Amino acid sequence: MTQFVLAGVLGVLFALGTFLVLRRDIVRVVWGVTIISQSANVYLVTMGGLSGSVPVLAHGGHGGGGHVTDPLVQALVLTAIVIGFGTTAFALVLTYRVYEEHGTIDLLELGEKA
Amino acid sequence: MSGQFVIAPLLVALVTAIATLLTRRFGRAQVTLSLLGGLGYLGAVAWLVSEVDPLGATNVYSYQVSGWQAPFGITLVADSLSAFMLAFSAVIALAALVFSSAYVDTFGQRVSYHPLYHFMLVGVTGSFLTGDIFNLFVWFEVMLMSSYVLVVFYSGPEHTRAALQYVVLNLVGSAVMLLAIGGLYSTTGTLNMADLSRRVADPAAFGGFSVAPVLGLSALLFAVFALKAGLAPFQFWVPAAYRAAPAPVSAMLAGVVKKVGVYAIIRVYFTVFAGAAFSGLSLPGLSVPEGESALLAFYGPILFVMAGASIVVGGLGAVGRDDLDGLLAYSSIGQVGFIVLPLAIAATATDPEVRVLGVAAALVYALNHGFAKSLLFMASGAVYDAVGTEQFPDLGGLSETAPWLSGGFFVGIIALVGIPPLSGFFGKMLVFDAAGRTESGLGLPVALFGAILTIAYFSRAWNRGFWGEPSMLVQHGDTRFTLVAVVVALAVAIAVLGVGFDVVMRAAEAGAHAALNRQEYVDTVLGGVESSGGGGHA
Repeated sequence: MTQFVLAGVLGVLFALGTFLVLRRDIVRVVWGVTIISQSANVYLVTMGGLSGSVPVLAHGGHGGGGHVTDPLVQALVLTAIVIGFGTTAFALVLTYRVYEEHGTIDLLELGEKA
Repeated sequence: MSGQFVIAPLLVALVTAIATLLTRRFGRAQVTLSLLGGLGYLGAVAWLVSEVDPLGATNVYSYQVSGWQAPFGITLVADSLSAFMLAFSAVIALAALVFSSAYVDTFGQRVSYHPLYHFMLVGVTGSFLTGDIFNLFVWFEVMLMSSYVLVVFYSGPEHTRAALQYVVLNLVGSAVMLLAIGGLYSTTGTLNMADLSRRVADPAAFGGFSVAPVLGLSALLFAVFALKAGLAPFQFWVPAAYRAAPAPVSAMLAGVVKKVGVYAIIRVYFTVFAGAAFSGLSLPGLSVPEGESALLAFYGPILFVMAGASIVVGGLGAVGRDDLDGLLAYSSIGQVGFIVLPLAIAATATDPEVRVLGVAAALVYALNHGFAKSLLFMASGAVYDAVGTEQFPDLGGLSETAPWLSGGFFVGIIALVGIPPLSGFFGKMLVFDAAGRTESGLGLPVALFGAILTIAYFSRAWNRGFWGEPSMLVQHGDTRFTLVAVVVALAVAIAVLGVGFDVVMRAAEAGAHAALNRQEYVDTVLGGVESSGGGGHA
């Protein structure tokens, strides 16, 4: 059941991200990119498989027995989140710089100036 | 075999980056440290190359970080392929660093230039050396993050606009790469490239997972690599970004960073996925060949079309440009097509000899383009520094006022056109040789058309920028010694590489053998780990 819910949520998130990336407003574009990269992270977690118990609990023999959730994907997601923070911060600063230089955050106007 | 020297270039670049960050209050000390770091980086790479020995048998060395054995820990791998790429990157990096110490204004250098430059170098080195596909993503990010800031370095109107495009595109690319990596992990149950290579070649021994998804996921990954390499149809960010960045940074972006994408294509498709076989898989409108190296045969036509499109788009774009930097940026799209064309031939070839020739041709051309294009970008930077413009209508007669600079520029041009005895002649010859060995022979006219376009736009650049009567601006321009010296030094290096081509060719062939020798790569990296049938997880 969880799989289907997550698959649906992922689809909606990716669609929303793509929709925002295609907007004229730069801030929305940055939002879109952020949503896409966050949904990539959620996707990464689901790729580790959802069955099984928590590794730490299972290790001590209290929890769900031998079957554990893959902990590696969590490590990957952690790395990806940290990188995502950095790039998002940079993209926002860049948006501000673009506004300072051009006086607009409308991509259409920006394109006309080129 | 393991060796500590594998991480030496990485450590040198990282330490230099941090050292220049700490000393940014002391301008002189920072520049000195940065230059010393660049020199040390070249030394570390030379050490690595001498250990890997690209002129002898193909050796593979792996370094298991923290002593965690291969499929579980992070692995760094140095073989003849990565040694070849690192060797020419290190030379270009040092040249560009010397150039920028004179070219970039003092305030810019003090604030951020040197740390960013070295962090970019860290990312490039890591991408060349990593043996882990998620790590490749991380190194890409390190490299890109620094290059974002370097592209927006001057932060004027056109720079912020170019950087915005570059950043958004690469962020989407990173998300796509994560999707591909997650899918590959879920399908094959590993992230280590050697382990991945072993598993896709023989899925039955590892839990019998289905190989079919690997084809689609590798295509996702391919789009990301093509984006980094600036191959058509992913080339549109290239001209704006290259024009916005400071000249030595454009030289690095075109000469080295682009080659990371090319390297990733060679490594991942020729070493890692080459063994995958797809039996009983049929896609509407696409034929998936059967048997060994089916995946390569699938990518061959795709690579070919992209290479051809890049050659045509880049060449035609360059012919119409009215500024030097724009012309060089478009030309670099076309030249990447020339690097990928022999790769396409190598992918479709069934004869192992042709396959080696194709990859070696791509490597030689990558080296030639690395040297020549970084020379040209730096020469264009020196012109801008002297004259204050790069628009052809305002230029002219530079060969009279700045003979050394013009001479260096000319060597760069004829190296890319392919005049003997420069390295470009052999690069072009090998590309044509490989193109002539395909059954269809379609590669030859494409390569020929591209070569003619190259002559056309470079003779135009030369005629309008360097010949004729010196314009007003040019007459009053003054070239600076350091900038010209770097350009001339690179020109001499190109000539030396051409005359001593025997060594380059042997190194490129060793690199090609290393790329195609899957078994040795797998054996060394996994270091005798028994193939336990773990396989995919639930």
